[in-house]
Amino acid sequence: MKRRVVITGMGCVTPIGNTTSDFETGLHSGRVGVGRLTLFDAERFPVRIAAEIRDWDVNAVARDGNRWQRCPRQTQFAIGAGLQAARQSGIDDAAIDPQRFGVYLGCGEPFEDFNAFTQCVHLSLQGDECTSSAFLDTALRVFDPDVEREFEPDLPAIHLAGLLNAQGPVANCIAACVSSTQAIGESMRMIQQGETDIMLCGGAHSTIHPFGVTGFQRLSALSQRNDDPQAAVRPFDADRDGFVIGEGAAAFIVEEREHALRRGAEILGEITGYGSSQDAFRVTDSHPEGRGTEAAIKRALASAGLNPEDIDYINAHGTGTIMNDRVETAAIKRAFGQQAYRIPVSSTKSMLGHATTACGAIELAVCVISLRTGVIPPTINHETPDADCDLDYVPYTAREVSCRHVLTNNIGFGGQNAALIVSRYDEASRGVVPSVRAA
Amino acid sequence: MNDLRDEQTRIVITGLGAVCSAGRTADQLWTTLTRRQSGNSHKTTEVNEPGGQGTPGVADFSGGIKDFGDLPDAKRKFIRKSLKLMNRETQMGVAAGQQALSDSGVLEQYDPDRFGVCFGADNVSIMPSDFQRGVQACTSTDGNFELERWGADGLDEIAPLWILKCLPNMPACHLAIANDLRGPSNTITQRDVSANLAIAEACRSIRAGDADAMLVGGTGTTLTPFNHMHARMEDEVHDNDAICRPFDRRRGGSASGEGAGAVILEEMHSALRRNAHIYGEVLGAASASFIGTAGQANCRKALTVALSQVLVRAGRTPSEIGHIHAHGLGTWASDVAEAQAIRDIFGQENAQTPVVAAKSHLANSAAGAGALELIASVLAIENGHLFPILNYETPDPACPIHPVVDYDTPAGRSFLNLNMFGRGLASCVAVGAYAA
Repeated sequence: MKRRVVITGMGCVTPIGNTTSDFETGLHSGRVGVGRLTLFDAERFPVRIAAEIRDWDVNAVARDGNRWQRCPRQTQFAIGAGLQAARQSGIDDAAIDPQRFGVYLGCGEPFEDFNAFTQCVHLSLQGDECTSSAFLDTALRVFDPDVEREFEPDLPAIHLAGLLNAQGPVANCIAACVSSTQAIGESMRMIQQGETDIMLCGGAHSTIHPFGVTGFQRLSALSQRNDDPQAAVRPFDADRDGFVIGEGAAAFIVEEREHALRRGAEILGEITGYGSSQDAFRVTDSHPEGRGTEAAIKRALASAGLNPEDIDYINAHGTGTIMNDRVETAAIKRAFGQQAYRIPVSSTKSMLGHATTACGAIELAVCVISLRTGVIPPTINHETPDADCDLDYVPYTAREVSCRHVLTNNIGFGGQNAALIVSRYDEASRGVVPSVRAA
Repeated sequence: MNDLRDEQTRIVITGLGAVCSAGRTADQLWTTLTRRQSGNSHKTTEVNEPGGQGTPGVADFSGGIKDFGDLPDAKRKFIRKSLKLMNRETQMGVAAGQQALSDSGVLEQYDPDRFGVCFGADNVSIMPSDFQRGVQACTSTDGNFELERWGADGLDEIAPLWILKCLPNMPACHLAIANDLRGPSNTITQRDVSANLAIAEACRSIRAGDADAMLVGGTGTTLTPFNHMHARMEDEVHDNDAICRPFDRRRGGSASGEGAGAVILEEMHSALRRNAHIYGEVLGAASASFIGTAGQANCRKALTVALSQVLVRAGRTPSEIGHIHAHGLGTWASDVAEAQAIRDIFGQENAQTPVVAAKSHLANSAAGAGALELIASVLAIENGHLFPILNYETPDPACPIHPVVDYDTPAGRSFLNLNMFGRGLASCVAVGAYAA
């Protein structure tokens, strides 16, 4: 019999709440975390808005907060979310076999100091050419090794494994915007196949940085609504014009069910389904019919042993770009058939912005909150219908829906797709319990 | 899902591809490893030139379409068109992947939905050359760089698709797109242990019934500016003219390099049905860490755990292992930790298990190295004999292993591929010769 994987701890650091209870309040009240970009001087940038983490310090969570002050923002967010999750699950107190405890995150690329980088390029220019060797010579003098060596995507996972004394597998994956979704799904697989009993999983990222704004702006992916930040992310709305860069982290303690029961942990939900796929179409565009997204959703359903009728809520990727929202809607319709029109679909990126590699983990936290509160969060700024986007997007107001199984979907550059299903924990075998929905 | 699989699922290797300083194909890699030579000076190139002339790199790999092997015309055109979207690590990874696909013949008949990709890759260094025009655009007439002008004057000088070149998942994505592989897709960015972790994850996908075949590999570099800088900040790294001497008492650090390796993993029955050539079978994989709550990493402890677990999963005792392919970084601390862990598990009585270390030939390509080393050992089993640790001259009592220094030592019928990362991570894969 397949080993079942349950969630026993959850933590998050987001633009609308830096604890899971603040996050829940923010989601239910439709709080929008988008505002003026303040992390660097963006006055002369074409895009001057972002969804930033405000009023949060890693010292709020970490005992040795000063150790992390010079680390990249995503490392601090990861430590914050990871420690919250570990505390909620009670693993600090419980007897855990450290060799059966692993860490798997989907943290993105941390960007080096932009001022130092551009100065190094400038100082290394010889005529019209900046060779790598000249740059390296300069950079070795300019960059502080103790700070610079932290600028690697795998360090949040390494630091958390150290802090929590996890001695099992440690990994970080990058699959663009499905990274943390896949880190969680692969953690489930590791437990299912008996390699580990317990995993810390999730992701963290921040691209609110001159490199991030430069890169996404050049791709024409960003909303240009500088004058109205709160209205900028408009998922599935006819007037949508791109995403807003966000940042944040979410982390979970997931463990084999018997392991959780033995130590008396509270079970927040069960991860029942996971699907990963590739569009195999283009690096730059999604497949027009969303065949990869359709496949990931169907694989998640199949691995959970569930049918489209069983799903009570879909948390969409819903970035608010013209292409994403059209393609994702098409894929949901192909995967769910007629059921697509019944199931409420919302995009919490309307409040959170786009936390890139971390978005899947944050959106799984949204799903767990939906299961536990019976309230699904709205899509803010969904006002003007778009003929290509004709599902029930839960505009503006949170809705009471008793959820048993909910699905979160993510789509990433390069044709990456991943979906997860989280279910209300029920001692009975999963997939056979009839869904209970609000009237 | 076609069938519900369990741990009895057998997974075999049916294709190999390599791009490294020893050659641009797996065959060339083997030829170079076994070409009798007295010492090693890594093949040099100026392609990435962070340290200028003398930098070990893949001299013959220009990223041109000829580097991608024999391809059908349509695919050749498609890849050629995509080259401008690929950075160098991506080009190497895609080239190795295409070779592995061609070698296995698996694309002659396959189900795209049941064929996935899992790669190990390094974080992608932001290249100064991509920003020089932007920086120049923000430079005043008297030669001062004015950062505050970037948003208005510099930003638009960046290539529109620049950020797509910076994503480490691009080798996996380009390979999926060029070959219509729609199964699971992931990229592990866990530095030097990435490739072994990718193999473990691909096996998990096949065992879970998510795929019948996986294209798996690693591509990496310690030559690009930030990757080179970070490698130097983590470990002792030689100046460019020095050589890698794993386990030698006079070793002085790792040698920087680049490269990519790729293999095709298939569920055994799927490979047998199409009469594929089977190079070997993945017997098991394990990884472990010992990072310490205050960062006092211990690679020896991590590797000891990973070694004992991989042996259990492979159903082998130490004496049944034909040879060990060591991480063999060539730094003082890493080699001691590794040798001591091998001693911890293999014990005094099995200290004769031969140990090879291809980094002495290939230098350190970080996330790519694990895949190249696995391929070298697969070919050693196929050819029946091992290759020497180059530059090994003076035994180190702190490294109590049995180093291979000749060309005749039998490779045995199985091996363990070891990788470590100095922050306290270790990963192992066990591979055996295929036997029905």
